[in-house]
Amino acid sequence: MSLVFPYRLKSVNQPILTLGGRWSRPRPLIIVSIIGASSTRVTLGLLDTGADDTVFPQHLAAPLGIDLSNAPIGYMRTANLGRAPVRYAQVRLRITDGVEQRDWPVWVGFTPVPLNQPLLGFAGFLQFFTATFHGDYEKVELTVNSLYPGT
Amino acid sequence: MNPKNVRIEPPDLSHYEENRSKFPLDELAKYAGKHVAFTPDGTRILASADTWEELDVLLDAAGIPLSQAVHEYVEPPDEIWIF
Repeated sequence: MSLVFPYRLKSVNQPILTLGGRWSRPRPLIIVSIIGASSTRVTLGLLDTGADDTVFPQHLAAPLGIDLSNAPIGYMRTANLGRAPVRYAQVRLRITDGVEQRDWPVWVGFTPVPLNQPLLGFAGFLQFFTATFHGDYEKVELTVNSLYPGT
Repeated sequence: MNPKNVRIEPPDLSHYEENRSKFPLDELAKYAGKHVAFTPDGTRILASADTWEELDVLLDAAGIPLSQAVHEYVEPPDEIWIF
Protein backbone atom coordinates (compact mmCIF):
# COMPACT_ATOMS: atom_id res chain seq x y z
CA MET A 1 0.00 0.00 0.00
CA SER A 2 1.07 3.55 -0.68
CA LEU A 3 0.19 6.83 0.88
CA VAL A 4 -1.02 9.34 -1.67
CA PHE A 5 -0.91 13.08 -1.05
CA PRO A 6 -2.30 15.59 -3.52
CA TYR A 7 -0.06 18.60 -4.00
CA ARG A 8 -1.13 21.67 -2.08
CA LEU A 9 -2.21 24.56 -4.29
CA LYS A 10 -0.88 28.01 -3.53
CA SER A 11 -2.89 30.81 -5.11
CA VAL A 12 -0.98 33.61 -6.81
CA ASN A 13 -1.79 37.17 -7.80
CA GLN A 14 -0.91 36.90 -11.47
CA PRO A 15 -0.91 34.16 -14.11
CA ILE A 16 2.17 31.96 -13.90
CA LEU A 17 4.01 32.24 -17.20
CA THR A 18 6.07 29.10 -16.63
CA LEU A 19 2.98 27.02 -15.90
CA GLY A 20 0.93 27.98 -18.92
CA GLY A 21 -0.86 30.89 -17.31
CA ARG A 22 -2.48 29.04 -14.42
CA TRP A 23 -3.31 30.85 -11.17
CA SER A 24 -1.96 28.41 -8.63
CA ARG A 25 1.28 26.68 -7.83
CA PRO A 26 1.29 23.00 -6.82
CA ARG A 27 3.60 22.05 -3.94
CA PRO A 28 4.56 18.66 -2.42
CA LEU A 29 3.57 19.63 1.11
CA ILE A 30 2.19 17.02 3.48
CA ILE A 31 0.97 16.91 7.04
CA VAL A 32 3.44 15.35 9.47
CA SER A 33 3.15 14.74 13.21
CA ILE A 34 6.30 14.95 15.29
CA ILE A 35 5.93 13.04 18.52
CA GLY A 36 8.20 13.72 21.48
CA ALA A 37 8.39 12.40 25.01
CA SER A 38 5.63 14.63 26.28
CA SER A 39 3.62 15.98 23.40
CA THR A 40 2.92 16.08 19.67
CA ARG A 41 2.95 18.81 17.06
CA VAL A 42 1.27 18.60 13.70
CA THR A 43 2.46 20.71 10.82
CA LEU A 44 2.70 20.98 7.09
CA GLY A 45 6.15 19.89 5.89
CA LEU A 46 7.90 20.15 2.55
CA LEU A 47 9.02 16.94 0.86
CA ASP A 48 12.48 18.16 -0.10
CA THR A 49 14.69 15.91 -2.18
CA GLY A 50 17.42 18.55 -1.89
CA ALA A 51 17.62 18.45 1.90
CA ASP A 52 20.11 16.06 3.49
CA ASP A 53 18.30 15.89 6.83
CA THR A 54 14.81 16.26 8.20
CA VAL A 55 14.77 19.54 10.08
CA PHE A 56 12.25 21.27 12.34
CA PRO A 57 12.28 24.72 13.94
CA GLN A 58 14.05 24.65 17.29
CA HIS A 59 11.21 26.28 19.23
CA LEU A 60 9.18 23.08 18.86
CA ALA A 61 11.66 21.01 20.86
CA ALA A 62 10.96 22.04 24.46
CA PRO A 63 7.16 21.66 24.27
CA LEU A 64 7.73 18.20 22.81
CA GLY A 65 9.76 17.27 25.87
CA ILE A 66 13.11 17.38 24.07
CA ASP A 67 16.15 18.80 25.82
CA LEU A 68 18.63 19.98 23.21
CA SER A 69 21.24 21.28 25.65
CA ASN A 70 23.50 18.23 25.23
CA ALA A 71 22.23 17.14 21.85
CA PRO A 72 24.58 16.18 19.03
CA ILE A 73 25.21 19.19 16.85
CA GLY A 74 25.81 19.70 13.15
CA TYR A 75 25.57 22.52 10.67
CA MET A 76 23.27 23.19 7.77
CA ARG A 77 23.62 25.65 4.92
CA THR A 78 20.51 27.34 3.66
CA ALA A 79 20.05 29.15 0.40
CA ASN A 80 19.33 32.51 2.01
CA LEU A 81 20.55 32.39 5.61
CA GLY A 82 24.00 30.88 5.34
CA ARG A 83 25.39 28.40 7.86
CA ALA A 84 23.30 27.53 10.88
CA PRO A 85 23.52 24.99 13.70
CA VAL A 86 21.31 21.92 13.84
CA ARG A 87 20.83 19.93 17.04
CA TYR A 88 19.67 16.35 16.71
CA ALA A 89 17.20 14.39 18.81
CA GLN A 90 15.17 11.22 18.59
CA VAL A 91 11.45 11.53 17.96
CA ARG A 92 8.72 9.65 16.16
CA LEU A 93 7.22 10.89 12.91
CA ARG A 94 3.74 10.00 11.78
CA ILE A 95 2.00 10.58 8.47
CA THR A 96 -1.39 9.61 7.15
CA ASP A 97 -3.29 10.19 3.95
CA GLY A 98 -6.56 9.38 5.67
CA VAL A 99 -6.40 5.76 4.54
CA GLU A 100 -3.03 4.48 5.65
CA GLN A 101 -0.84 5.60 8.53
CA ARG A 102 2.91 5.26 9.04
CA ASP A 103 4.80 5.93 12.27
CA TRP A 104 8.54 5.50 12.79
CA PRO A 105 11.37 6.38 15.20
CA VAL A 106 13.96 8.71 13.81
CA TRP A 107 16.69 11.26 14.44
CA VAL A 108 15.69 14.73 13.28
CA GLY A 109 17.38 18.10 13.44
CA PHE A 110 16.20 21.26 15.16
CA THR A 111 17.49 24.61 13.99
CA PRO A 112 17.12 28.20 15.18
CA VAL A 113 16.71 29.23 11.54
CA PRO A 114 13.12 30.51 11.26
CA LEU A 115 11.75 27.85 8.94
CA ASN A 116 8.20 28.44 7.76
CA GLN A 117 7.71 24.69 7.61
CA PRO A 118 9.85 21.64 8.37
CA LEU A 119 12.02 20.21 5.63
CA LEU A 120 11.35 16.51 5.14
CA GLY A 121 14.69 15.54 3.66
CA PHE A 122 16.58 12.34 2.98
CA ALA A 123 17.79 11.27 6.45
CA GLY A 124 14.86 10.46 8.64
CA PHE A 125 12.19 10.71 5.99
CA LEU A 126 12.75 10.11 2.27
CA GLN A 127 15.31 7.36 2.95
CA PHE A 128 12.45 5.17 4.19
CA PHE A 129 10.17 5.59 1.18
CA THR A 130 10.04 5.19 -2.52
CA ALA A 131 8.67 8.60 -3.44
CA THR A 132 6.98 9.08 -6.78
CA PHE A 133 6.22 12.66 -7.73
CA HIS A 134 3.42 12.60 -10.26
CA GLY A 135 3.81 15.92 -12.02
CA ASP A 136 0.88 15.22 -14.29
CA TYR A 137 -1.56 14.33 -11.53
CA GLU A 138 0.02 16.72 -9.02
CA LYS A 139 0.27 14.18 -6.28
CA VAL A 140 3.05 12.35 -4.51
CA GLU A 141 2.98 8.68 -3.66
CA LEU A 142 5.03 7.32 -0.76
CA THR A 143 5.65 3.59 -0.45
CA VAL A 144 7.67 2.24 2.45
CA ASN A 145 10.91 0.53 1.45
CA SER A 146 13.16 -2.06 3.07
CA LEU A 147 14.80 0.52 5.35
CA TYR A 148 11.54 1.62 6.92
CA PRO A 149 11.90 1.08 10.69
CA GLY A 150 8.35 1.72 11.85
CA THR A 151 4.82 0.42 11.86
CA MET B 1 3.65 17.55 29.52
CA ASN B 2 0.89 20.09 29.07
CA PRO B 3 -0.04 22.38 31.95
CA LYS B 4 -2.38 19.80 33.43
CA ASN B 5 0.40 17.24 33.33
CA VAL B 6 -1.67 14.93 31.19
CA ARG B 7 -0.28 13.62 27.97
CA ILE B 8 -2.53 14.36 25.03
CA GLU B 9 -2.35 11.83 22.25
CA PRO B 10 -1.82 12.89 18.64
CA PRO B 11 -5.03 14.19 17.11
CA ASP B 12 -7.22 12.24 14.73
CA LEU B 13 -6.22 13.55 11.30
CA SER B 14 -8.21 11.03 9.28
CA HIS B 15 -10.44 13.73 7.76
CA TYR B 16 -7.91 16.54 7.63
CA GLU B 17 -6.77 16.21 4.04
CA GLU B 18 -10.30 15.77 2.68
CA ASN B 19 -11.67 18.81 4.49
CA ARG B 20 -8.59 20.98 4.13
CA SER B 21 -8.61 20.49 0.35
CA LYS B 22 -12.09 22.04 0.31
CA PHE B 23 -11.02 25.12 2.27
CA PRO B 24 -11.61 28.08 -0.09
CA LEU B 25 -8.41 29.50 -1.57
CA ASP B 26 -9.82 33.03 -1.49
CA GLU B 27 -10.52 32.67 2.22
CA LEU B 28 -7.02 31.31 2.79
CA ALA B 29 -5.58 34.22 0.81
CA LYS B 30 -6.65 36.54 3.65
CA TYR B 31 -3.92 34.91 5.74
CA ALA B 32 -1.10 35.40 3.23
CA GLY B 33 2.25 35.64 4.98
CA LYS B 34 0.80 34.31 8.23
CA HIS B 35 1.24 31.16 10.25
CA VAL B 36 -2.16 29.61 10.88
CA ALA B 37 -3.52 26.83 13.07
CA PHE B 38 -6.24 24.61 11.64
CA THR B 39 -8.52 22.31 13.57
CA PRO B 40 -7.47 18.64 13.29
CA ASP B 41 -10.45 17.99 11.00
CA GLY B 42 -9.23 20.70 8.60
CA THR B 43 -12.46 22.68 8.55
CA ARG B 44 -11.55 25.80 10.50
CA ILE B 45 -8.71 28.20 11.28
CA LEU B 46 -8.26 28.56 15.03
CA ALA B 47 -5.70 31.36 15.09
CA SER B 48 -3.13 33.16 12.97
CA ALA B 49 0.06 35.13 13.64
CA ASP B 50 3.11 36.58 11.95
CA THR B 51 5.43 33.91 13.36
CA TRP B 52 5.06 30.30 14.43
CA GLU B 53 6.14 31.22 17.97
CA GLU B 54 3.50 33.95 18.20
CA LEU B 55 0.90 31.50 16.96
CA ASP B 56 1.78 29.11 19.77
CA VAL B 57 1.39 31.93 22.31
CA LEU B 58 -2.08 32.72 20.96
CA LEU B 59 -3.14 29.07 21.09
CA ASP B 60 -1.81 28.75 24.63
CA ALA B 61 -3.68 31.87 25.69
CA ALA B 62 -6.87 30.47 24.20
CA GLY B 63 -6.42 27.23 26.12
CA ILE B 64 -5.97 25.17 22.96
CA PRO B 65 -3.40 22.39 23.40
CA LEU B 66 -0.61 22.88 20.85
CA SER B 67 -0.85 19.21 19.96
CA GLN B 68 -4.44 19.64 18.84
CA ALA B 69 -3.78 22.23 16.14
CA VAL B 70 -2.35 21.77 12.67
CA HIS B 71 0.24 24.37 11.73
CA GLU B 72 0.54 25.75 8.21
CA TYR B 73 2.33 28.74 6.73
CA VAL B 74 0.30 30.60 4.11
CA GLU B 75 2.68 31.94 1.54
CA PRO B 76 2.29 35.39 0.07
CA PRO B 77 0.92 35.12 -3.49
CA ASP B 78 3.89 36.85 -5.11
CA GLU B 79 6.67 34.59 -3.81
CA ILE B 80 8.22 31.59 -5.48
CA TRP B 81 10.59 29.07 -3.97
CA ILE B 82 14.02 28.47 -5.39
CA PHE B 83 16.26 26.37 -3.15
